[in-house]
Amino acid sequence: MEYTTALALGVLIPLISFTLLAFTGHKLGKPRSSYVALLAIGISCALSTYVLLGWLGKTPDEREALAAQAVANQFHWADFGNLAIKVGVKLDSLTVIMYFMVTFIAFWIHFFSIGYMEGHSDEVDGVSKYHRFFTYLSLFCFSMLGLVISSSLLFLFIFWELVGLCSYLLIGFYFDRKYASDAGMKAFITNRVGDFGFIIGLAMVVLFLGTFDLDEAARAFAHQFNTGTGIFEASVNLFGWHVSGGTLATLMGIGLFCGAIGKSAQFPLHVWLPDAMAGPTPVSALIHAATMVAAGVYLVARVFRLLTPEAQFFIACIGCITLTITALIAIVQTDIKKVLAYSTLSQLGYMIFGMGVGAWVAALFHLMTHAFFKAMLFLGSGQVIEGCHHEQDIRKMGGLRKKMPVTCWTFFIGVLAIAGFGIPGMHLGLGGYFSKDEILAVAYERAFNLPALKETDAAADDAGEHAHAIGRRRITSDRSKPASNIALASGVEAAHAPADAHHGDHRTGTLEKVGIAARLPALPPIMFWLPIIIAYVTPFYMMRCWWLTFCGKPRDHHVHDHAHESWKMFLPLAVLAIGTFYCSFATFRPLIHDAAAAATNSPAIVAIDGEAHNLEEAGAGAMLMLNHAPGKNPHDWLAYGVGFAWLIGMGFAAALYRNGLAAAERLRRRFALIHTALDQKLYFDHLYDGVLVAGTRTLGVVCYWFDKIFIDGTVNGVAMLTRWIGSFSGRQLDMPVQRGDWGLVDAVANGMAATVLDIGSQIRRPQSGRIRTYVCITAGAAAVALLAVLYFDQLAAGIDWLVTRTSTLAQG
Amino acid sequence: MEHILSWLIFLPLIGAVLVLAAPAQMARSITWVFTFGVFLLSCALFGPFLDGRAWDGGYGTMQFEYAIPWIDVGGFHIRYHVGLDGLSFPLIILTTLITWLAAWASWNFEHWNVNRGPKGYFALFLLLETGVLGTFAALDFFLFYIFWEVMLLPMYFLIGVWGGPRKEYAAIKFFIYTLAGSVLMLVALLAMYYTSADAVAGPGTFGLIEYVTNPAIHEMFNSETTTFLSWKFGPAMFVMLFIAFMIKVPVFPFHTWLPDAHVEAPTPISMILAGILLKLGAYGFFRVCYPIFPEAASQLAFYVALLGVINIIYGAFCCLAQTDFKRLVAYSSISHMGYVVLGAAIMTTTGFQGAMFQVLAHGISSPMCFFLVGVIYDRAHHRDLNRFGGLWLEMPRYGSLATLGFFASLGLPGLCGFIGEIWVLLGTWSAPFTWAKPMAVISAFGVVLTAAYILWMIQRVYLGKRKEEYAGFPDADARETAILIPMALLAIFMGILPKYTFDLMNGTIDRVYEIMEPFTQVAFGG
Repeated sequence: MEYTTALALGVLIPLISFTLLAFTGHKLGKPRSSYVALLAIGISCALSTYVLLGWLGKTPDEREALAAQAVANQFHWADFGNLAIKVGVKLDSLTVIMYFMVTFIAFWIHFFSIGYMEGHSDEVDGVSKYHRFFTYLSLFCFSMLGLVISSSLLFLFIFWELVGLCSYLLIGFYFDRKYASDAGMKAFITNRVGDFGFIIGLAMVVLFLGTFDLDEAARAFAHQFNTGTGIFEASVNLFGWHVSGGTLATLMGIGLFCGAIGKSAQFPLHVWLPDAMAGPTPVSALIHAATMVAAGVYLVARVFRLLTPEAQFFIACIGCITLTITALIAIVQTDIKKVLAYSTLSQLGYMIFGMGVGAWVAALFHLMTHAFFKAMLFLGSGQVIEGCHHEQDIRKMGGLRKKMPVTCWTFFIGVLAIAGFGIPGMHLGLGGYFSKDEILAVAYERAFNLPALKETDAAADDAGEHAHAIGRRRITSDRSKPASNIALASGVEAAHAPADAHHGDHRTGTLEKVGIAARLPALPPIMFWLPIIIAYVTPFYMMRCWWLTFCGKPRDHHVHDHAHESWKMFLPLAVLAIGTFYCSFATFRPLIHDAAAAATNSPAIVAIDGEAHNLEEAGAGAMLMLNHAPGKNPHDWLAYGVGFAWLIGMGFAAALYRNGLAAAERLRRRFALIHTALDQKLYFDHLYDGVLVAGTRTLGVVCYWFDKIFIDGTVNGVAMLTRWIGSFSGRQLDMPVQRGDWGLVDAVANGMAATVLDIGSQIRRPQSGRIRTYVCITAGAAAVALLAVLYFDQLAAGIDWLVTRTSTLAQG
Repeated sequence: MEHILSWLIFLPLIGAVLVLAAPAQMARSITWVFTFGVFLLSCALFGPFLDGRAWDGGYGTMQFEYAIPWIDVGGFHIRYHVGLDGLSFPLIILTTLITWLAAWASWNFEHWNVNRGPKGYFALFLLLETGVLGTFAALDFFLFYIFWEVMLLPMYFLIGVWGGPRKEYAAIKFFIYTLAGSVLMLVALLAMYYTSADAVAGPGTFGLIEYVTNPAIHEMFNSETTTFLSWKFGPAMFVMLFIAFMIKVPVFPFHTWLPDAHVEAPTPISMILAGILLKLGAYGFFRVCYPIFPEAASQLAFYVALLGVINIIYGAFCCLAQTDFKRLVAYSSISHMGYVVLGAAIMTTTGFQGAMFQVLAHGISSPMCFFLVGVIYDRAHHRDLNRFGGLWLEMPRYGSLATLGFFASLGLPGLCGFIGEIWVLLGTWSAPFTWAKPMAVISAFGVVLTAAYILWMIQRVYLGKRKEEYAGFPDADARETAILIPMALLAIFMGILPKYTFDLMNGTIDRVYEIMEPFTQVAFGG
């Protein structure tokens, strides 16, 4: 089977399952409806495994040929003006690995849900919503997979909204509870605010790059960048603000990124994700931790070639702000799912930040590793919540280690992974260790090495040689690109250049780096230090969560007594734990790495990423190691500086909470002000509710009053005037006027009503009594019309007369 | 065969006569059969639009065309001239489909008004269909006008006699508004006739197509020197006709008749009103205003676009303040029709495609929404949003279909509402008018507001705990489901494969654009 067919089939099968369940789900009932969904995602997962294994066995040339074939197989969906919109599968290593990740995790979460939802779906007045859950899950799998394989930005947007819909439906799954439906609404509307920017970005892509296709857009963008045409010479007047050239291109990137701000819950639209925990826990694991929220990062990865350095800087700023504030808020959360939600936000912040600083590979690698361990953490929390009879407050837990050992230790693996567990020097660690370290390393280069590089840039400003040097290396690695692009290649090629080239031609590498450095804004040091500091905070709040839940003495005996583990849900936890180990080491990173070359190939972007991560790859078996000459690279002191962050952070948490909450309580009182601010989530919700939501609603009321009083008032006033004039010759009617809702308008409305009745009675006079009369008149009118068709000369003469009169009026 | 279109138009009229002649209890069956027959007959017209024959000639190449002289007095030539092209054909199908579904929705007639017999209602209902079909098919402006008026009267009675508590007020408001528009149209129609006579130095014409295809007439209509009274001819005509049509759409500030009419009208009439009658206004833009007066249209594009944007945003804000379910859907119609106006205003292929698609999409989703409101009104006998709640639990099938319908209205991708919106938004951004981009930005914000009012409404009506007063409400029955399903399927089909809908009209839209292009190029330069 062709890979594109397999992938497309894998997308459609959950759709079939959705359709089936939507119509027959209530008949299938519990648990059969879940089997349908599980089977569907199982097939998708099998197909994705087939593609993944096949893809791994292909050489780069074969992969390129397959990708080209996928482009050729696109089909014509619709015409936008004269622009044909094609739909197809974007086939590259990133698609393959992302697709695999989604199907794999989704499969195990489906598996988990079968057990979990048994106790969580029948809560609404005895009406089973069990099948609904799996119906929505299938729809989600369809949408998410569709998003992953889309080759066109428009389709990306379509699936983008569909995953948003699923998120809405699943957050509000317990929709009989007000907070759940509120949370769903908040998620959807907040996302739409981001989509507003996405639409503007999309509009700019269509206008200036003339295509919806990701690859074509990137090519057009590169061309325009080099020739200074298109978007780089355009000028737009936006509300008096004249935007032109590079700024416009930057705005385009920021517009597209707005979508990611919404979906990946970045500052300032991060407020919906914590509320989204109102949904069932498997949903939190699948949609609000592993896959959908990461779609924002995926989007940025896909449109990376359309980002100017300034747009990237913007992205980095947003990521940096998000990862900082959400990690701080996470420290004071007491709801186990809220802790995880804020940690998700913070990790998403890292990914976005990574994208922003140009750590394309590292950010996506972090996405993958995070998906595994965060899904596991959420499923673990699901076990806890299930075991503790829906208790989610970690202050009431404690000492669950003995009662739920498997959950406890898989959760601990998750904590280690997110904390960045690893041993510097031993080149060993879990996913978070490598991916986060890599992002930080790139940030370091951007913050501290770049200014120095820029200084030397002037000396090395030999454009011809530079282009030549790059061109030479491009040719070896990227033959499919048009010749015009060859000279424009960025330093990304360091990422995929043959290893010998990396070690060999050192001078070329320097030159490239210098050339690119000139175009890059340097990162302010604060944007390096904040992520570093937060790397210490993350282990603290995760350990706090784990410790309070599983260690120490039971604080609430009611909860503790009930606690139990459900064996049905073990398997997914175990599999995801293994996945957490596996994805740290094998398959994932090389494949992302493989995709990087083409996916970041734009002259306008930064490519220090390549430089940074190439150093780490020693290729010893499947292991990833930090492997570079000591003393020469920031990774060394970084590795040691951050390498033990997990130990310090976790140790501090364990020390603080080893005797229960007392020590923390003292600390809380000491810093009451800060604690309150964090506890109130830094007042974002208050601000939005008080200003934006209330403002919008007020504006709505104002508009409606304007409608009733001003517009209708004018209309009714005119009518009243007419009637008043008419009343000189007419008689007064008694008016049975209904009491209006709108006090001020009443007077006017009454007048209008009088007129209405007046005219109405005139019209109705011949039709007094029975309805037959109405119809006779109408039929008579119709008969007249029919007769008129048959040469009704007298009527024509009448009209003729009328026309002559009018035309004299018109011409005179 | 050459009379097939005339049969289509007048078949409902025959039905109306039959309804009057037959016993009262047969009225609804006869109406159902006739409307369904008309729908089937209209489906028989698909041929040339599917195989591409319809796009062979230039603008004005009509299918199923039929023309005979009708009134020929004193140098005054009125023809009975009907035909279909890509602008009118999709609307014909929409009309026959929605009318059939509305006739079905009228099945429980006796439940909502026991005072009046069904004969009058169903006869007027069929007469209305004739009026609408005739308006869409007419190619002679005078004929167009007559059908336009024929349609007005039944609507007036259907609202004014079978409506809710404030039916007289609503009906008169509707009547007077539309009549005011008609007067303007009549004046324009006569002025155009005489100017066309001047242009060809012979007998004038009412031909909507000749106005465009006859170079002499077209040039004179768009000339700077031609005048009407003391105004320039083109802009004067454009404004008068535009007002006549915008009342029907309706466009701010002539929109306040619509919420009143909807709130008072019975459910099937609301379906027709929202699904079809509003489209007549939009069709008027496409058939009359833009091809005939492209010069004036490009000069006034800013104001038209501004009205469109106001419609989108203002309508959405008004929705947020509603407590009456039906009034909310009515205001959402105003908001959605704003995209049509905006799409037309920018005068590009994309804009016209988007606007036409939005017309059809709204023609599917809004009757669905109104019917959904009607279903619940039949049971609860009130429409107060704040009193509802928990209906999805009470009526799961209905709840699911309602979610689909309202999400189609919300413009969710994969459903019909999305395509029109995104086409218009992206098209507006791409339009080379200098003011277009800010307008695109403002109207794009409509997507946020739309989500807000629709989701808030869904929350208030369908989500939440079960309420005592709605306990035991029966789920949507077979008839109600059968009415909703075609609209639901079409909403999905148009959303997933918009190509097939676009294919029905793109051929003609391209021709219209060719007419407008020389004029818009001038405007774009400035």
